[in-house]
Amino acid sequence: MFVKSGMHCISRVAIAAALVVAPSFATSDDSAARPVNPYTGDKPSVQEGGSLFNQYCSHCHGPWAEQGERPRDLRRLRIRYGDDAITMFLTTVNEGRLDKGMPVWKGVLPDDVVWKIYTFLETVQDDE
Amino acid sequence: MNGIRKRLVGACAVSVMALTSGAAMAQSGNEWTQYGGDAANTRYSTLNQVNTGNVKDLKVAWVHSLGTLESQESTPIIIGDTMYVTSSTGPRYVFALDAKTGARKWTYQPEMPSDYMATVCCGLDNRGVAVANGKVFFGRLDAKLEALDAKTGKRLWTVTVADYKKGYAITSAPLIVKDLVITGMAGGEYGVRGFVAAYKQSTGEQVWKTYTIPGEGEPGNETWKGDSWKTGAASTWGVGSYDAKRNLVFWSTSNAGPWGAQTRGSDSSDVSQYPNLWSASQLAFDADTGKITWGYQYTPHDAWDYDGINEAVLTDLTIGGKSVPALLHADRNGFFYVLNRDTGKVVAADPFVTVNWATHVDLETGRPVEAPNNEKRPQLGKWARNVCPNLIGGKNWSPMSFSKQTGLVYIPAFNMCMDIANREEEYTPGKFYLASEFNLAMGGATGSHLAEFIAWDPVAKKKVWTIEEANMWASGAMTTAGGLVFYGNLDGIFKAVDAKTGKVLWQFRVGTGITQSAVTYSIDGKQYIAVVAGRLKGPPSFFGKIGQKMMEASPEGGILMVFAL
Repeated sequence: MFVKSGMHCISRVAIAAALVVAPSFATSDDSAARPVNPYTGDKPSVQEGGSLFNQYCSHCHGPWAEQGERPRDLRRLRIRYGDDAITMFLTTVNEGRLDKGMPVWKGVLPDDVVWKIYTFLETVQDDE
Repeated sequence: MNGIRKRLVGACAVSVMALTSGAAMAQSGNEWTQYGGDAANTRYSTLNQVNTGNVKDLKVAWVHSLGTLESQESTPIIIGDTMYVTSSTGPRYVFALDAKTGARKWTYQPEMPSDYMATVCCGLDNRGVAVANGKVFFGRLDAKLEALDAKTGKRLWTVTVADYKKGYAITSAPLIVKDLVITGMAGGEYGVRGFVAAYKQSTGEQVWKTYTIPGEGEPGNETWKGDSWKTGAASTWGVGSYDAKRNLVFWSTSNAGPWGAQTRGSDSSDVSQYPNLWSASQLAFDADTGKITWGYQYTPHDAWDYDGINEAVLTDLTIGGKSVPALLHADRNGFFYVLNRDTGKVVAADPFVTVNWATHVDLETGRPVEAPNNEKRPQLGKWARNVCPNLIGGKNWSPMSFSKQTGLVYIPAFNMCMDIANREEEYTPGKFYLASEFNLAMGGATGSHLAEFIAWDPVAKKKVWTIEEANMWASGAMTTAGGLVFYGNLDGIFKAVDAKTGKVLWQFRVGTGITQSAVTYSIDGKQYIAVVAGRLKGPPSFFGKIGQKMMEASPEGGILMVFAL
């Protein structure tokens, strides 16, 4: 359902998404089924997403995603999940991880807000 | 060592105003019977076997694992030869231990739902139990209050205080008043409406419940814009104090919610129409009926998350030759208050850390005078830069202590500032409701240290000495008639300090961060000093680079250390 919003701009950035999210991981066969971030690399969305991240996520994940609790560190999504980072992100945001303190955001944050937050996170991924 | 520097601000401050202790208030001796040591929350003990002369010989007596790994904030309670202590996350455990040896007498594990963690804002802590009339009482993070048999640990009753799925929780120990057990609640970041509630110790039946935000038609409700009172927070997640002579219970309230103040009233420093009573306030309740006797608002129309929940310490001070029934309070907003606890009138309000959001507190009106031109007040879409203190406050929940021996208050304080802006946001039950964006990754307000441990003269209204802490968070304090004040830090260093001079006389590395105060007790003529340790996890998560530094200070842990000569 998340790919619905911003479909109009998907064509140009779909390739970039694959490159930015997981450049160093082998692509599995089902990569075509993976959701695609419509805003990847879009600078205004990165900026807006950072601000939205600070408003909705920073209380647990740190302003600008900076903090020290490793399991909550969203700068390590790519290292942790590789090609699956985008799917893990959407699943966790949508369904929550209630027993770990992550609320369910489905129905609270609009799709484009979630995508913009992810767009910001794509720009702060650690290398090691 | 550990970047700690000591600075004498003016040792042995001479004051024309003498000082007496509140004779009516009980104080700790052989036992440590309640959270704050006594109903006045002084955290002062008359024990003096361990003192300035021999504290260097303090050794570990026994150790107990708390069984969980974050934010250990429990104050152990000691009745007779039994110690009652809780662990974090729930609590996961309530332990009754032999206070001499640490041997377990019983262990109780509350049945917690698996999803409560998603509606707790700032750490899965529990600050301990209250014990009275053979029963142990404690609050839970799923907003339940529970009673156990003190001898066996068998559950006697459980009541639902509020709906945790809407963001309510209980973090602090309840207060015992006669046959009542009284609790506050947390949830100021979830659009709750705060209250204090009293239950019968025997059955758990509710006796009274008083909202901190007046309802429709009640005086004070008009201080909220529109329906904002319904989600205005003013939670009561700190602890209460009790003055038996006046039969008054003192409790104070959290930030107004959401943080974005434009939702609750004006979007400026003109707070006159919508001060948002009684958020960020001190309240006095009739202990039998729960009726609010008086209120004093520390931060009108709060926009900085300046919770007023820090403990009220009750004592009588002699000021200008007159005895004042005082209530001492070091607020998140950076001012140290002396209130008259009979009337709620402010006697003194002085900055104990760097404060720039307000120039001063007008003692006539009782109100803070904010920095001009809304410069330090965040507004919708507009950042307020370099606001001091930051939202963790000049002091947070870690308790201060008032020594009847020195007449000084020992305050664990912070030295930090922030940038903060208001945002638009819709309320969703059970979800964070902040309407705010903030940046806390800034250096110290004055110097590079992020925390300090302050000896404060409440009569002369000034610092006597300060110990600077390089990293964030000095723990709560405990004072004794042995001339000592004990506290620890996030690196896990537990220290005994000369209460007069600020000289560190002894220290011990407990291995993980300390935030709660120590306690002391005596059995068979031997004095023990106990402290829980377990580095916190909630605040570092939203503190950016400073948060990283906090996490690096020490690993998680869950340990109870007990010392004796």
